[in-house]
Amino acid sequence: MSSTTPILEARGLTRSFGAVRALDGADFDVHAGEVVALIGDNGAGKSTMVKALSGNLALDSGTILFNGAEVDLSSPSVASHMGIETVFQDLALAPHLTPPQNMYLGREIPAPGFLGKLGFLDNKTMRARSKVAFDELGATVRSYSSPVGSMSGGQRQAIAIARAVVWAKGVVFLDEPTAALGVVQTKAVLETIRKVRDKGVGVVFISHSMPHVIEVSDRVQVLRLGRRVATFQAKDTSVEELVGAMTGALDAGAKS
Amino acid sequence: MSVSRHSHDHPVTQLDGANDALDSTPRRKQIMKTITKLVPLIAASALALTACSGGDGDSGSDDSASGGAQKLTFIQGVAGDEFYVTMQCGIEAQAEEVGAEVNTQGPAKFDPTLQKPIVDSVVASQPDAILIAPTDVSAMQAPLKAAADQDIEVVLVDTTVEDPSFAASQISSDNEGGGAAAFEAIQTANPDGGKILVMSTDPGISTVDARVKGFEEAAAADSTFEYLGVQYSHNDTATAAQLITAALAKDPDIIGVFATNTFSAAGTATGVRQADKQDQVTVVGFDAGPDQVGQLKDGTVQALIAQDPYQIGVDGVDQAMAALTGGEVTPKIQTGFHIITAENVDGEGAQYLYKSSC
Amino acid sequence: MSNDSISAKNATADAAGVAADASPTGEPRSEAAVSPDASLLTSGSEGGIGGFFRRIVKVQSFQILLVLLAIFVVFSALAPDTFPTWSNMRLVIQNVSILAVLGIGMTYVIITSGIDLSIGSVLVFSGVIAAKVMQGMGGDGWGTAIVGILVSIVCGVLWGIFNGLLIAKAKVPPLIVTLGTLSGALGLAQVITGGVDIREVPAVLASNIGYGNIPGTTIPTISVIALVLLLILGVVLHKTKFGLYTYAVGSNEESARRVGVKVDRHLIFVYALSGLMAGMAGILSLAQYSTTAIAGQSTTSLAVIAAVVIGGTSLFGGVGTIFGTIVGLFIPAILQNGFVITGVQPFWQQVAIGAVLIVAVYIDQRRRAAASRATKTGKRSLAHLFRR
Repeated sequence: MSSTTPILEARGLTRSFGAVRALDGADFDVHAGEVVALIGDNGAGKSTMVKALSGNLALDSGTILFNGAEVDLSSPSVASHMGIETVFQDLALAPHLTPPQNMYLGREIPAPGFLGKLGFLDNKTMRARSKVAFDELGATVRSYSSPVGSMSGGQRQAIAIARAVVWAKGVVFLDEPTAALGVVQTKAVLETIRKVRDKGVGVVFISHSMPHVIEVSDRVQVLRLGRRVATFQAKDTSVEELVGAMTGALDAGAKS
Repeated sequence: MSVSRHSHDHPVTQLDGANDALDSTPRRKQIMKTITKLVPLIAASALALTACSGGDGDSGSDDSASGGAQKLTFIQGVAGDEFYVTMQCGIEAQAEEVGAEVNTQGPAKFDPTLQKPIVDSVVASQPDAILIAPTDVSAMQAPLKAAADQDIEVVLVDTTVEDPSFAASQISSDNEGGGAAAFEAIQTANPDGGKILVMSTDPGISTVDARVKGFEEAAAADSTFEYLGVQYSHNDTATAAQLITAALAKDPDIIGVFATNTFSAAGTATGVRQADKQDQVTVVGFDAGPDQVGQLKDGTVQALIAQDPYQIGVDGVDQAMAALTGGEVTPKIQTGFHIITAENVDGEGAQYLYKSSC
Repeated sequence: MSNDSISAKNATADAAGVAADASPTGEPRSEAAVSPDASLLTSGSEGGIGGFFRRIVKVQSFQILLVLLAIFVVFSALAPDTFPTWSNMRLVIQNVSILAVLGIGMTYVIITSGIDLSIGSVLVFSGVIAAKVMQGMGGDGWGTAIVGILVSIVCGVLWGIFNGLLIAKAKVPPLIVTLGTLSGALGLAQVITGGVDIREVPAVLASNIGYGNIPGTTIPTISVIALVLLLILGVVLHKTKFGLYTYAVGSNEESARRVGVKVDRHLIFVYALSGLMAGMAGILSLAQYSTTAIAGQSTTSLAVIAAVVIGGTSLFGGVGTIFGTIVGLFIPAILQNGFVITGVQPFWQQVAIGAVLIVAVYIDQRRRAAASRATKTGKRSLAHLFRR
């Protein structure tokens, strides 16, 4: 698996916010059909990295390679075009729109013929396809015509993940997808992650929960102070080892 | 001092506007004030007006047009303004005298876009006659013509429209006479003559221009006075003060200034004080609302030229009734002015001050 | 440059999300979303709350319509001979028409959680430029009038684009930008005219559009123009991608941006639309009043904003309908007309409008509170109007 070219690779990413170096020459890589966990203590640069790799943040320096070719991820739509999708911690749903509207926001299906050229939308198709997508992931969406803002945290999480997964052809980033979920839901999310990986998509899973990380990942990459300090094979590592690498207590020696 | 003055000046801008049919003076200050209130709610003024209006609130709904008393509706240029309140007092008193009913309406600002819907609604209520101070010579032409076409007698009070041929009568102040009266006030205070100046607002306002013209003509007739011309304050106190200090630097012996509205008067007085000439210069203001009277009593101005809105109201009712009952109608009436000074303000002049309630 | 605002937004969003999700009710419902078994227990309440939210959203403009009908019935009973007549209603409709044109643009703007205070001044400015051009051309015919119409519209659009650029690109808060253009547009109109109204308006404009009727009817032309604009832009808002993006930007600007909606460009379009409507209203006002009325229109922006809010459009963005705005415009108009006809002092009309406005915003707040169990908008305040 690791012998092929990574679908997405970052080399020497740097980004400062004022005096703070959020990323300080960080590297990262993920292959198609692989779950990579990205872990690190608060402030290690995980969220900054995700933003940079999803086109939501400009970098000071560094290279991003997609399928081995250098790319300029200057905007979210560039990333979407490559099939890179992200579920952010704050879900990034529009609370006043319905689940299908959120699912298709920015990618609406125009109505057939002349009306479509005028900007009219094919709501029926969008709703039907959303339903299929939600069902596929086992996300039970109660109402397709209610605003998502009226739904529970779990439902919105499911909608946000479903939206990302549906469009992700290359890589999907999940930023703390289980942080606020209950036991049953967390299981469902981890199951979803495996399903998505089995479709051949690269999954980047950011979490503070080490058991989850070990349970679902293939590889674990550790960020500390804006740098990748270690990479582990999930099946060969332990919670203690990961925590040690995150905090710097363990002398960081990459095993790959 | 200038701070407290500003808060008092709010209704006065409306007053000055109210008197100027062609007025288009900037009202930005008011807009800015309004914006700070998200809700267009002027509760205080509402209280003042309802307190004043007394019992005529229900008179309008009586459907007695054909049989009983004649129904008159008075549409003010701006509601709650002392000039129009005084006119309303005259109208109500005279209506009671002749046995007519009066209903008074008015927009919250001197603004044709606010007055037109009121006129339309009044016409729908089918009064026998409308007494109105139009807020714009063009904008109010069509709606008032429409009223006249529905056999409603229209009497124009204070201000007018482009083509008033449909109106039964027009009653207004003789603004040129007002300018002459202002000169007379300066003349009385300075019998020996000297240099005099006008502090106006903006050019192009017909009523104000008429006042200036009357002042100029009266000044030209007396060779002991040297007329220095008009300065335009653009309705801004600070500008008026700057202009007057500059004028005093050029001509240190100015003895009298006619300030055509409240802001001009306040600024003129400030400039005169800055130049330490308050004992030498007589400032004459226009109108006699509470703010102007305040300026008179605190010595900002030495005399006020008061219009006679009460008489305009009385004449308006008389003309409307004459038109309704087939009496003799005078198509055009001009009412006079009264000079108010510190000496007569509490005596015989008191009756000519504008009222905030009847 | 925009990172600070992004991270700030994320921070508040996180806090809101955590607070909501940590609530006792959050967890079981969350499980219901993915567990078919558990969903049986909670499906009733889920559907109930979703349905409740949906019902209230739909009901707000309906409630307001009921208020309007109630007002109509009361005045009809008080003045049966004069109030509920076509000749009276015709004038009410005519007087609402210009405000309705402005209300269209304002509805779009407020749905994006913005505000446009400048429309009254832009209306005056556009009317002044159009009047100047038509005065320069001379003539009373349609040729002059059509040039005037186009000039007025172009002026409005330019002011709108100017507002939009400052708001979307320079990140100046909409309240401040449009407060500035409110003052600036009016000031320029005064500079251009020396503060003296222009009263030369081509006769065809005044007699056909201003107070004319559709030939053979007693329906005011100006109202038909307003109605056509309302229908077109109502359909655009509720049925097209442009409309959907308007809601999306107002609902969660950041999420719209992340999925590739060109938020800045959309905001510029929306403010340009508001300017377009103000330019349109400028020429209509010129036709109706035969004067540029420079000193007038000072309360127009606020009257339109009040109507939009009364009609159920949320100042917090993401919610609103054109239909509600129309109902919101008729409430003050009908109240004023009825009060004048029944001889009530006009100040009471303002008191009544103020009360309706406050009640409408209160309902909006309650609705958001009820719907915001898990959304960050529930924690927002109107302070967003002051920042970008």
